[in-house]
Amino acid sequence: MYRRILLLTLLSFGCAPLALAQSSGDPAAGERKASMCAGCHGIPGYRNAYPAYSVPKLGGQHAQYIVSALKAYQGKSRAHPTMQAIAAGLSDQDMADLAAYFAGTKP
Amino acid sequence: MKKPSLAIAAAVLALALIDARAAGSVDAGKQKSAPCQQCHGADGNSTNAQFPRLAGQYPDYIAKALSDYKSGDRKNPVMAPFAAGLSFEDIEDLAAWFSSRPNGLVVRHW
Repeated sequence: MYRRILLLTLLSFGCAPLALAQSSGDPAAGERKASMCAGCHGIPGYRNAYPAYSVPKLGGQHAQYIVSALKAYQGKSRAHPTMQAIAAGLSDQDMADLAAYFAGTKP
Repeated sequence: MKKPSLAIAAAVLALALIDARAAGSVDAGKQKSAPCQQCHGADGNSTNAQFPRLAGQYPDYIAKALSDYKSGDRKNPVMAPFAAGLSFEDIEDLAAWFSSRPNGLVVRHW
């Protein structure tokens, strides 16, 4: 019993650095990786074709939310053919970097 | 030859209709936004990073997200019950309100 508690305690402390590492994106690296996003998200007023609606603004969006959206596309729980294809090729670090870049508010 | 031109005409008409859609009311949206504020902030600038900022977002993107939550095309256990009760007009009003809020999202371009 005590061993199990000790094990669980050690495991939860062991996971803490992982959780922190996941959230630390590098905005400069994100900017370099964001060229594939620019064709849609970097053009003011750009619209998705079918159905027609504006591609969302990302500048100033919370990094945590951007990562959760990319993960949802990667896991295909959120539908969008282009975003699913792009997210499929992203590592966790890529997502964190992109999110850190887009969380900035410089136009 | 006739069919492609007919299809193009239909597409142009469809786009014109979409753009001609009555925009939502900012004031009505403000009244209806009370349930949203807990997570998304009073002005759409949420402080909790797991909930997206809505201030300054394109209104038709907000409307698309709400419509997808309502239809179930986009699944989220928190948003689904809120969206389920919204009419088309509610969605347009909420989209107009949040998109009109200042100090919000921007387009980052290269």
